Amino acid sequence: MNSPALAKTVAMKLLDLITSLKLTIVCLAALMVLVVACTLAQVNLGMYAAVNQYIRSFVVWAEVPGTGWSVAVFPGGALVGLVLTANIVAAQLRRLELSWKKAGLWIVHAGLILLFIGEFGTSLFQVESRLAIEQGQTLSYVERQRGLELAVIDVTDPAHDDVYGVPESRLARGGDVAVTGTPITLRVKGWYQNADLVNRGPADPPSPATAGVGVGVAVREMPPVTSDDDMNRSAAYVEPVAGGRSYGTWLVSNVLGAPQSFIHEGRTYQLQLRQQRQYLPYAITLKKFSHDVYPGTDIPKNFSSLVHLSNPGRGEERDVLIYMNQPLRYDGKAFYQASFGKGDTLSILQVVDNPGWLLPYISCVLVAAGLVVHFGISLQRSMRRRSAAASVQGTLTS
Amino acid sequence: MNIKIAASAAALAVAVAGGCRRDEVTHYRVPKERAGADLTPAAVAAPPPGMAGDVPAPPPPSGQARLTWTLPAGWSQSLTGGMRYATLKTPVPGKLDVSVVVLPGPAGGELANVNRWRNQIGLPPLDAAAMAKERKTLATKAGPLAVYDFTSEGQQKSRVVAALAEAGGSTWFLKMAGDEKPVATARAEFIRMLESVHLE
Repeated sequence: MNSPALAKTVAMKLLDLITSLKLTIVCLAALMVLVVACTLAQVNLGMYAAVNQYIRSFVVWAEVPGTGWSVAVFPGGALVGLVLTANIVAAQLRRLELSWKKAGLWIVHAGLILLFIGEFGTSLFQVESRLAIEQGQTLSYVERQRGLELAVIDVTDPAHDDVYGVPESRLARGGDVAVTGTPITLRVKGWYQNADLVNRGPADPPSPATAGVGVGVAVREMPPVTSDDDMNRSAAYVEPVAGGRSYGTWLVSNVLGAPQSFIHEGRTYQLQLRQQRQYLPYAITLKKFSHDVYPGTDIPKNFSSLVHLSNPGRGEERDVLIYMNQPLRYDGKAFYQASFGKGDTLSILQVVDNPGWLLPYISCVLVAAGLVVHFGISLQRSMRRRSAAASVQGTLTS
Repeated sequence: MNIKIAASAAALAVAVAGGCRRDEVTHYRVPKERAGADLTPAAVAAPPPGMAGDVPAPPPPSGQARLTWTLPAGWSQSLTGGMRYATLKTPVPGKLDVSVVVLPGPAGGELANVNRWRNQIGLPPLDAAAMAKERKTLATKAGPLAVYDFTSEGQQKSRVVAALAEAGGSTWFLKMAGDEKPVATARAEFIRMLESVHLE
């Protein structure tokens, strides 16, 4: 067989494979396995880590006990979803004829493809944050639930702060980080995703820190937390360098409350490791948080937050009531009532920023509409057949 | 097949773009946070959720060894009673911060604190001998005060004038820091205030 013929044969086989119904079944079965495995893994890993490991990964890795090596054991949800999407698209293009009779099936398949695209978009672009706000407090930022930043804050200006956020992922890589917009370069000398911070004892090795509170603190590395309710106590040693001068090595941690600072060329810079913040062009004030219970019981009936939304840029000033399943949707974000605390004076809102949030709804509508159309077409065809059969039988009997 | 390749490349590009975006240093210019201005006192005192004070602030100094001083004319102060015991305001314009901080015990020792001040304005650390040369001692009713005066290098210079004293098992830090000019203007009054320090 010559090369073009061989290539054609291989291409045809590949096309057969990618459009095969068996592949669809295998993918659906794999998704079922992944869902079960992910559900079970949540016991040890917590929901966030389990979803990342099983559903939003291309390969599921497992550690070989005692070796520290990881081996691929199963395709991850992202890979299976990608193959399934390719399978549906290819099968539809190859098999389904472009006719009104098949319109329902076209719509159903389009809905399914949109559903997969929506999930990919969600895994790539959805950002979950939270707004923990006290009654009477006004905030114009949200904090990422997972993900820290080293905030380098130029507090020199009496009216404004310039906040530069170095994300946790960048600190974890180590090396030099140029803080763009400032003359500062941060030399990351150590990163601990989770650690215990204790007062330095005589048995502790010398501290890498030469400035700030870290000089008297010992850092003991711990395994990262897995429960969704726990929080890593992260820490890093960083050395700010500016204008050829070193400002010492500082210990920063999200459990050190007060920021630490140094002055370069008359400008004061604070260093603080904290939850990653996203500042908003508008402000939210919590006017009142309500925790209603059924009369005579402690059984919750409703949680609600009456907030004031102020956006001077758009000339908007209005009150909004956020309650269960009634989020505030504003400027691409949805603020859901999630939790509360401090004797019902603190409201915690889950903030979801998902540019593709409408896609699952559209795909569900498409799938439902496609099924209705397909059923209607089939019903019409069936009724025509029955009426034709009845007329034939009538002709024969007469 | 071409459609598939293009779609895969597009998905990869989107993924890479998304990944890179999350790794960048962000910048926001924001109005200064009004620390607790909008909050009830209870809300201000409580640590933020999930950040319960793992490194507790030291207790305020005991009543037996409270340091006090005479404020220069035109100066005002607010006593907060915590680790930052007092914040003083001067009539001198410009960037200037005057504070009194009290910590239990030796608080790391004199050399560590002197080098911390030097480090804050980008000066290299000193050894004990060099520190002794920089030290000026003021005799006060509360005992001797070690006073240091450091000015940074660079085009826009910063200056720190700071004193420390041990009293009743705590270390007191009286510090004036800011741009060189306002610190120089307020320095004489600050030194007079240091000379007036006594135990209450």
